Amino acid sequence: MVAAQDALLTQMRRGTLQYCVLALLADEERYGFDLVRGLAEKDGMVTSEGTIYPLLSRLRRDGLVESSWQESPSGPPRRYYRLTDRGRSALDGFRLEWRRFRDAVDHFVERKASK
Amino acid sequence: MSTSADKLVDDYLDRLERELADFPPARRRELVQEISEHIAEARAGLEPENEAEIRNLLDRLGDPADIAAEARGSLEEQPATAAPAPERRSGALDVVALVLILIGGVVIPVVGWLVGVVLLWISSAWTARQKLLGTLVVPGGLALPAGILLFATSSESACYQQPILGGGDEMICSSGSTGGQILGSIVVALLGAASIATVIYLGRRMGRNAGVAAA
Repeated sequence: MVAAQDALLTQMRRGTLQYCVLALLADEERYGFDLVRGLAEKDGMVTSEGTIYPLLSRLRRDGLVESSWQESPSGPPRRYYRLTDRGRSALDGFRLEWRRFRDAVDHFVERKASK
Repeated sequence: MSTSADKLVDDYLDRLERELADFPPARRRELVQEISEHIAEARAGLEPENEAEIRNLLDRLGDPADIAAEARGSLEEQPATAAPAPERRSGALDVVALVLILIGGVVIPVVGWLVGVVLLWISSAWTARQKLLGTLVVPGGLALPAGILLFATSSESACYQQPILGGGDEMICSSGSTGGQILGSIVVALLGAASIATVIYLGRRMGRNAGVAAA
């Protein structure tokens, strides 16, 4: 049962996590560590923080985010990520679809629970 | 900085490096660098740092095998996600090609249609067979049936109405066999329908081809 739940969570995260990353970058640029901790703060979003880095690398290659090196007040330069226009429209598209999907699932799941 | 903590971190990065052994060197180096920067940032926030905290930090990062699996997944996805870009660029031109093939010849005789045909052939949205179909059915597009219609009406002599005895009017046409006229109308209608059908077919193909490339 626990294994099945883990698998379910993994499936759900797989599709949605990248949009959470895009959403975190919607208003400000962030460096990798800051971004990862931002995601990990919310319970249930990230099980292993290290897997965010390959995800960031894919988003960069797909042109949804871009990055640049900036000096850090302490230590070595940091790689900052920001949203591209393509990333922004991908995020907008996901928001619409997500609301529809969430409402549809709620419609079935929540109604049964309340009865 | 404690040496046992350093040892834990080094072991972790070594394991990650081993898991990524089959990766392109540039990708491996980049990922290992990012993870080690993450560790450095996290350690900077630990004060004072002890072994338990380092273990906790590495636990949160996750098993190097999981990180490698995630990276491997995104490596495999790469060709599919990179594909749609050139497709989208040609989309607008493809639509222009179809519009010109259909009515380009009506707007600018011959030339308008020819431009459409050229755009059709340079596009990557259709197969050679579909392009041939678009060129041959119907040459000139709607301009051909429109031209025939124009020619027929101008050469046709006037009809007039003549009152008949029982009341009402009768349509009298002085020349042109009715049989010929009907046949002409059928040809014009068929050519027009064929032209429109071809363009609709090509339009649907275009959408489907693009859909396949984007999937």
